[in-house]
Order: sequence, then C-alpha cells, then structure tokens
Amino acid sequence: MNYVQLEKLGEGTYATVYKGRSRTTNEIVALKEIHLDAEEGTPSTAIREISLMKELKHVNIVRLYDVIHTETKLVLIFEYCERDLKKYMDVHGDRGALDPVTVRSFMYQLLKGTSFCHENRVLHRDLKPQNLLINRKGELKLGDFGLARAFGVPVNTFSNEVVTLWYRAPDVLMGSRTYNTSIDVWSCGCIFAEMISGVPLFRGRDNQDQLLHIMRIIGTPDDRVLRKIATEGQTEGQAQKQYPRYPKIPFSQVLPKASPQALDLLERLLQFDPAKRISAAEALQHPYFSTSQPMYTQPTPFTPAVIAPQYQYPQGQGQGQGQGQYQYNSQHEAARNAAAQAQLALAQPQIPGAGYGMQYPQQQYQTGTR
Amino acid sequence: MSTALYPLASLVQIEKTPSREDGIPEELELDLRAHGCKLIHEAGILLKQKQVAVATAQILFQRFWYVTSMKQFGIGDIGMGALYLASKLEECPIRMRDLINVYDELLRRDAHRLKYSTGPSSSSAHEFKYIPMSYFGSTFYDLKDALVVAEMQILKRLGFNVNVVLPYGTLVNYLRLLGLTEREDVPSKAWGYLNDALQTPVYALYAVPTIVSAAIMLATRQLGIALPSSPESCWWELFDADWEDVWSVAGYIMRLYRERTPEDHARVLSMVTKKGVRSWLEDQKPAVLLP
Repeated sequence: MNYVQLEKLGEGTYATVYKGRSRTTNEIVALKEIHLDAEEGTPSTAIREISLMKELKHVNIVRLYDVIHTETKLVLIFEYCERDLKKYMDVHGDRGALDPVTVRSFMYQLLKGTSFCHENRVLHRDLKPQNLLINRKGELKLGDFGLARAFGVPVNTFSNEVVTLWYRAPDVLMGSRTYNTSIDVWSCGCIFAEMISGVPLFRGRDNQDQLLHIMRIIGTPDDRVLRKIATEGQTEGQAQKQYPRYPKIPFSQVLPKASPQALDLLERLLQFDPAKRISAAEALQHPYFSTSQPMYTQPTPFTPAVIAPQYQYPQGQGQGQGQGQYQYNSQHEAARNAAAQAQLALAQPQIPGAGYGMQYPQQQYQTGTR
Repeated sequence: MSTALYPLASLVQIEKTPSREDGIPEELELDLRAHGCKLIHEAGILLKQKQVAVATAQILFQRFWYVTSMKQFGIGDIGMGALYLASKLEECPIRMRDLINVYDELLRRDAHRLKYSTGPSSSSAHEFKYIPMSYFGSTFYDLKDALVVAEMQILKRLGFNVNVVLPYGTLVNYLRLLGLTEREDVPSKAWGYLNDALQTPVYALYAVPTIVSAAIMLATRQLGIALPSSPESCWWELFDADWEDVWSVAGYIMRLYRERTPEDHARVLSMVTKKGVRSWLEDQKPAVLLP
C-alpha cells in the first residue's frame, strides 16, 4: 500500500479508522478500513459513501482521495482533519458554547458544504456535530456520507431511518419518506443553535419524545400543516395522532446570547413545515453573514480558539461597506492573536475518528438534565 | 441543475466489447445480455422486489459487459450480484439466502430446459420440478461466494459509478408535453417499451431523453398516431434527441422480438455460466483452425 498506517483513531461496527501517511507525498491522511462481511457483502454505507463522495469536491466536504480494494477489505483514503465539531466545542467552547465569530464562520462553511451537496443532488441525511470535521486551519468539512443518498427529479420514497434523532427533522419524525434537501437544513439549524448555546437544542429519548421536544420550543403547528405532513408519511389506515398544543417560545428566550440576525436565520432554518424551510443556498445570502451590526448583544468573555478563515461573504463586501468590513476584521485580529493558544490546544491527543463514521466509546450527552 | 450524471460506454468500448474481443459474436452477446436481464427480472418478481431495484440491477448488469468479458464471469452470477447491489442502492435490501434460493431455482430451470430443448417437445412429460438444495451440500456456499465476488467485481470494475437514472419520470413529462396522455394506450405502450429496453444495452449507451423518445416513437407508430416530423419542427428535437440515435435505440428494442430458432435458445441456455461460455468458445476453435 502506498500509505503507512499510523495510530488507530477510532473503531466502529463496520470500519476502523487509522491515521496514515502517504509514502510519496508524506501527507497525513485518514485511512478508513472497511471489513467485507461474508454475510452481506460490501456494506451499503461504504457503497453510498464512495459513489457519492468521489464526485463531491469542495473545501467544505472531506475529500475522498482514493479507494483501495483488496480481496478481504476496502480502504478509503480521506483528507485528514484534526477533530470533529463536537470535540472542538468541548475543548474550545465556554461549556460547549463557541464565540460568535467562530459560530458565524462555521455556520457559513456548514451551509456552503450542504448547499454544494444539494446542488449536486446529494442528501447528506446525517448532519450532526460528530460528522463535521475541523482541521488545523479552522476549515469545517462535512464527513461521513454513509447515510447519504443521491436524489433525482421524481421524488422517490426513501428510508425514514435516517439522521441521528436529535438532528432529525419533524417531517421525518412523522414518517415522511418523500423528504428532500430540507432535512439537511433542519439539521444545520440544530447545529447552529448548539454552537451558540453549547448544548443540543432538542434532546428527545425516542421518536415521539423528540417531536414533543421540538414542539415545546417552536410550538405545535396548526392542524392543516400537521395533516399535510402526516398524510405524506401515512402507513395505511393509521389514524392521525393528536399532539398537545404548545405555544411558540421565542428563540431569543431560548438563546439569550444570540444576535437578532442569528435568531432570524435560525427561525428560517427551523421551520416545522419543510416547504417553508429556507434552502441552504438562500441561507448563505442571509444578512447574518454580511451585516455590519454588532453581532452579539453581549461581549463574549473569551477569545476564539482558531482563526476563522476569511470568506468572501456575499452582498457587497469589499466595496462601500467599510464599516462592516472593519468590524469583522478587527474581530479577526483577536482571533489571530489566539492562534498560538489554539495550536497548543490542537497538540493534545484527540479522537477525531468520529467524523469518518466512528462511534465514541461512551454516550456523548446525558439526556434529561433539563 | 448540475449533475444527474450517469456513465455511458465510450466509443471504443462499444465498437469492441470485451466479450467480442474474446470471440463471442455480437448477436450472441446481445442474446446473452437479454437472457441475463430476464433472469434478473424473474428473480425480482419471485422476491417481490421493487421495480426500481430490478431496473437499476439490469442497467448495472448492462454496463458491466462494457468492461468485462463473459468468458471471465457468467451472466447468472453477475445478474445475481447486480440485483443484490441494486437492492442496497435503492434501500430495499434483500436477504442473501432468499436471493440464492431464487437464483438456484432459475438456473436449474435453465439447465432443465437445455436438457430437453433438443428432444421432441412433449412438454408435460418433462415438466420442471424444483428440488431445494440440500442442507449440507456445497451449492449454497458456492453460490454465496459467487454472489459476494460478483457484487465486489461490479463495484470495482465500474469504479463505484453506480448512479442510475430511470426513464419513467421523463416519459410522463414528455407525454404531457406532446399531449399524449389522453389516450391510455400510448403511455402504457411506451412504458412497456421502456421496460423491454432494459433487456438491451441502450441504458448504458444513450442518454435517457433519447431512449424515452425511441419508446414514444415506437408506441405512436404502432398505434398510428402522427407527430410533427417535418424538417423545421421535429418533435424529438424538443427533447434534444438525435434522430439517428432514436432510430438506433428503436432497433435494439425491435431486435428483441425477432424469432429465435430452438438452436439459438439452446445455445444461450448453455452459456449462462462462464464454464458454458468457455466450452462453447473451445468448440469454436477447431473450426477456425481448419484449412
């Protein structure tokens, strides 16, 4: 093999991830070894991952460099990233919460990667902090396409066993099999809120409980919407479920630290009705990413950990918006000063295998603390 | 709209397929492909598998023979592997055990038909009766190995390019556009041609709009419906289809319905496995060497 296998990064049910080094370029890579099972042949997650990721080349998507296919195993060679967003928030966050500059940068990159998938007709279907990888440069990349799917023009019926519970869209929870790109947008919204507050927004125990958690915050939608979504997910002869009527709690109460712009974007991402949810491409145009307003009402008590990479935010950055530009850059300065600190933090050993489809050894969050 | 990318065979691959390179004549290769697709189709019905998975399997099967010769892998094994793989891709996986049982029955039925194909056609005397494979025999394990290898080889040789676009949605759109949805027989005829086309290599050769246009052309001609075809307004141009290509697709489909002699049938049945293909190729050799 053209790669030297280094230490193990993680292990899952059907694959093991190692750190590796290319013999030719000395580049550090991640090697995902998939064991071929005599009982079911090539795992379908591996088939999906390879067939889709091969085509998706974007800075905000983990690159699949190569596939090595031998008699007994399949090795996927991925771009190496230091850690996943979950781990990043644990290490750099203030009790998990990230500073506004980092949140904005990560959110922008997350939406960029997601919108690129959607443009190329790929649904990720499993966006969550553990599947978002962060590299040394502070670039965020979508990883683990093991549940992803290509979609065509006529909407097929898909499996509704997708997306980790806490990031699962309400329409999928209600049994929809005709979901679309909007399910990834919902997950983006959940991740956004989690980066701001440091804790997952909706933490249900099971399908039904998850739905109630969502309704308790964004409110129970009116019957017409419920009926519309329920008929899409109908298994024959099933009576329509009754849900308790919860009023909507404004996001400003749930996330007191967030700026009005951030709250407005969140509102649009977390629409109960999938038809009303903003698209990833539209979200990128949101004023949250180009505003000159002070982003957060309160000063943040700590400095960002990694330099947030500079992006060409849309809407007239560059000319005529000197004020906004300056503001954003000054925050960048602060970020740069903290870079040394960040490098130190990154030197600590981590388990970055998660984003390549690995499981952490233990349950990540305790449920029911709220 | 960026990609709905599905790979098509290159000109070099079309001109000389690996099987033809190994000495299998074009007509015979097409018959073998069609037979392999019929097996996939029948297996799909017996397994109550969704039509999308069956169609996807047939298209992957057709693609495979542009990169591999039938001397190397049998159409039975690859068909089985393609159906298994397509079922995973379309999120309706099937059990290995079920698939193997079904293929075992189909392959034994073929062997039975071959045995009695040359004799007098006393159909009732030699009716096929399937005896399930023995519990301790090696048949199951042999077929299972063949299945795992077939699936892996399809993935490997197609370079994991397993994206398939099915034509049915396009057909509905085109028929609406042409105002042909009023009569029920046009859509159902055209739909039928699209299904039959799955037994031909066209899905590995032409873009979906071309294939759909050919199905519409065949259906409307059969039913005697005229569509605008004068040089300045040709209906197929609406769908970016080239007349020559449409004609070629129609040719592939119509060749399926040509009469085959009992000898042709027997020859196909004897070549379902790679062993059969190899022994047929051996038999051909002396004839070539004779002065």
